[in-house]
Amino acid sequence: MKLTPKKNGTDLTIQLSGELNTLTAPELSALLNKELGGVKNLTLDFADCDYVSSAGLRVLLATFKQMKVAKGSMELTNVGENFMDVLQNTGLDAVFGVF
Amino acid sequence: MNEESVLKIPARLEGLDLILSFVSFLLDSHGCSPQARTQLRMAVEELYVNVTLYAYPSGDGWAEIRGSVEDGMVTLRLIDGGTPFNPLEKDDPDIMLSGEERGIGGLGIFMVKTMVDEVEYEYRDGCNQLTLRKQL
Repeated sequence: MKLTPKKNGTDLTIQLSGELNTLTAPELSALLNKELGGVKNLTLDFADCDYVSSAGLRVLLATFKQMKVAKGSMELTNVGENFMDVLQNTGLDAVFGVF
Repeated sequence: MNEESVLKIPARLEGLDLILSFVSFLLDSHGCSPQARTQLRMAVEELYVNVTLYAYPSGDGWAEIRGSVEDGMVTLRLIDGGTPFNPLEKDDPDIMLSGEERGIGGLGIFMVKTMVDEVEYEYRDGCNQLTLRKQL
């Protein structure tokens, strides 16, 4: 999985490319641990990632909770068909900001 | 009678790529849609990862995946020789809870149930057997 972070003040955008699965989710988690300090608006761009397993969802939920505590926001953008199905089936489409 | 493909490997997390490649290889040779392919790969990932984490608490073990496609119906069977355990008996998570109220786990098996047409557990010949079926 390729992760491309772009920071602009308190905004952080991460482009994900590849599959967010049990083997790659720790990479996203590690990057977020490193970059999330001081971030208010987090955007995760899924244009090149349409495979998200429960290990990926766990990282997203943990990050969502972290952003809530920090009074920040988290958005998922360019969500593809498969990932949208997963979000809808798990009710997480109503939890995360999905665009 | 359609031929069954089989892959048997040590039940370790690093083997996930191999297991998923097996699923892709099988499905791609039967003109599977990208969506069904992703759903089946995700379902197999959840079940295989469970095997690597829980089937062999005291050490190394094996996992086997068998797959076939007949009349547009794919059957995938994941087998291990570990502790008898039916992951499908676990309660489904409450998907109506807000983000703050939710635990961060427990979604994997629930996702499997939503992604395939049928999933069955059987303990047979000293092995756990999980069978997934989906119309392509």
